[in-house]
Amino acid sequence: MSSNAQILEGVVGFFDDPETTLEAMKKVTEANYESYDSYTPYPIHGMDDAMGLKRSPLPWITLAAGIAGVSLAFALQYWTSVVDWPVNVGGKPFNSWPAFVPVMFELTILFSGIFTLLGLLGLCRLPNTGRKVIDPSITRDRFAIMIDLPKKVRNSSCKPFEESEVTQFLQSLGAKDVRKVYEEGWF
Amino acid sequence: MSAHSHVEKELVNPGSFHASGRLKGVLFLCALVGLAATAGAFFTDTLRAWPSFLINHFYFLCLGLGGLFFAAIQWLTGAMWSAPVRRVSESFTAYLPVAVLTTVVIFIGMHDLFHWTHPEVVKGDIVLEGKAPYLNEAFFIVRNCVFLLAWLFFSHKMIGNSLAQDQDPGNYRFNLKNRVLAPIFLVVFGFGFTFTSFDQLMSLDPHWFSTMFGVYAFAGLFYSNLAITCLLTIYLRRKGHLKEFVNENHLHDLGKFMFAFTVFWAYIGFSQFMLIWYANLPEETGYFLRRMDDAWMGFSLVLFFGKFILPFFWLLPRAAKRSESRLMIAGIFMLIAQWVDLAWLVQPEFFKDGPHIGWIEIGMFVGFAGVFGLTVLRFLSKNNVVAIGDPRLQESVFHHHQ
Repeated sequence: MSSNAQILEGVVGFFDDPETTLEAMKKVTEANYESYDSYTPYPIHGMDDAMGLKRSPLPWITLAAGIAGVSLAFALQYWTSVVDWPVNVGGKPFNSWPAFVPVMFELTILFSGIFTLLGLLGLCRLPNTGRKVIDPSITRDRFAIMIDLPKKVRNSSCKPFEESEVTQFLQSLGAKDVRKVYEEGWF
Repeated sequence: MSAHSHVEKELVNPGSFHASGRLKGVLFLCALVGLAATAGAFFTDTLRAWPSFLINHFYFLCLGLGGLFFAAIQWLTGAMWSAPVRRVSESFTAYLPVAVLTTVVIFIGMHDLFHWTHPEVVKGDIVLEGKAPYLNEAFFIVRNCVFLLAWLFFSHKMIGNSLAQDQDPGNYRFNLKNRVLAPIFLVVFGFGFTFTSFDQLMSLDPHWFSTMFGVYAFAGLFYSNLAITCLLTIYLRRKGHLKEFVNENHLHDLGKFMFAFTVFWAYIGFSQFMLIWYANLPEETGYFLRRMDDAWMGFSLVLFFGKFILPFFWLLPRAAKRSESRLMIAGIFMLIAQWVDLAWLVQPEFFKDGPHIGWIEIGMFVGFAGVFGLTVLRFLSKNNVVAIGDPRLQESVFHHHQ
């Protein structure tokens, strides 16, 4: 990686404990930058609120997938046993819906589960191989807040990113170590 | 997780709950009205009075016993989340001694309720003669008494430990004692409640059998118990007694439980129905045929939609499980649905022409509800409304934030 072609991605500040991180995060949210994120070794209660995150749309994906699953299961069984190849089983009507219910139930669960996972990956933009691990310690015992340099300014009412100002700001919040992060290629 | 950040406050014991004289008066009036309705019913229409009494007897037995079951699984698992609401559940066991009385009344009415008690019916009937070693009056009375007394014993012991802890706050030995008693109780409860439901509900049609019937009855027991626990918790919270202890996260957990057991009931109920429908054996299908003919099909659909579909979609959104008012609507609705379920189990064995819900059934329900309410209020007025001595309480109250 040649040093003269480095592109700045943002500035990251490292903290030693979750309480300071949480308090700092509240200030970062208040400061109204366009893009920021937190990196912690384990979930911190209250972080969602501190980051000002809205409820995830994931439950709606699950609901839609569940409804699709139950409908598809009924349609498949109805079509095979009533329309395409009706077979008389024990004198029961062709459209014996109680017998369809177990498959309808299972497909509801299957579709909900699969699409919840896929939806989660999509909403979290995973897998993301483009980003290196900023520092191994954030998977172990340190907490990080990163303020990103927006690639494109989407919301002009947000506070503009100014590298030296952001560095100072993170230091003022109690970051023990503040570093610049540069973009890297794959691997 | 980030537990250190919370400043731990001293919990103030809210003490016992003394209901207003008006509420007690209303409940007392309910009990009187119910007593009058019961007496009136037995004088005018014995044929309807007995099934109605059985429905209401079993309904409130489930509420009282369910309170002990809920508390027992909390002790067994050492649950932290439920510490502030466990005493609410315990308070329902105050009704259990009344359930002994109503069971005795059921014994008196055996000949009107269970036709296998008539020797002339059993004689010559191969199935009933074969079942006679189990289905006979003496054994019926003995085993139903044994189970009820065993539950009362465990209730006395475990609730006793819980109340003793209030006087000796933070003493973990009471949790350990109940953790030993709870699994024994749960085994006794599992067998006892299964046979009680076999005896008092399933044997109304002595030719029919379903090995799933016990778990079906249990699904209803826990369903209604969660609903009433949630309702009383919200009531005490609004009265200010649980305000410092129960926040919306506790309500959310109760709501999730209610939602889960709505699905559980449907799962069990449908599994029982589908296996019998699919196998189509003559000795099994009669039970459901009776409930699916013209006179009863509408009521069966009301049960299915009312007990499963509506609460399912009502409780599905996260916001519904965190809102007091929406949970209250769910709770009241679920309590009605459980009553409809018991009427569905009992009445088709007596009335071929569809459901009978009139002054006899509602009057008796009002009476039982009055007595139930008075026993629970009496418990709450003598004991703390929250298990103030439980070492897990502090953690649950302050750390149950998201």
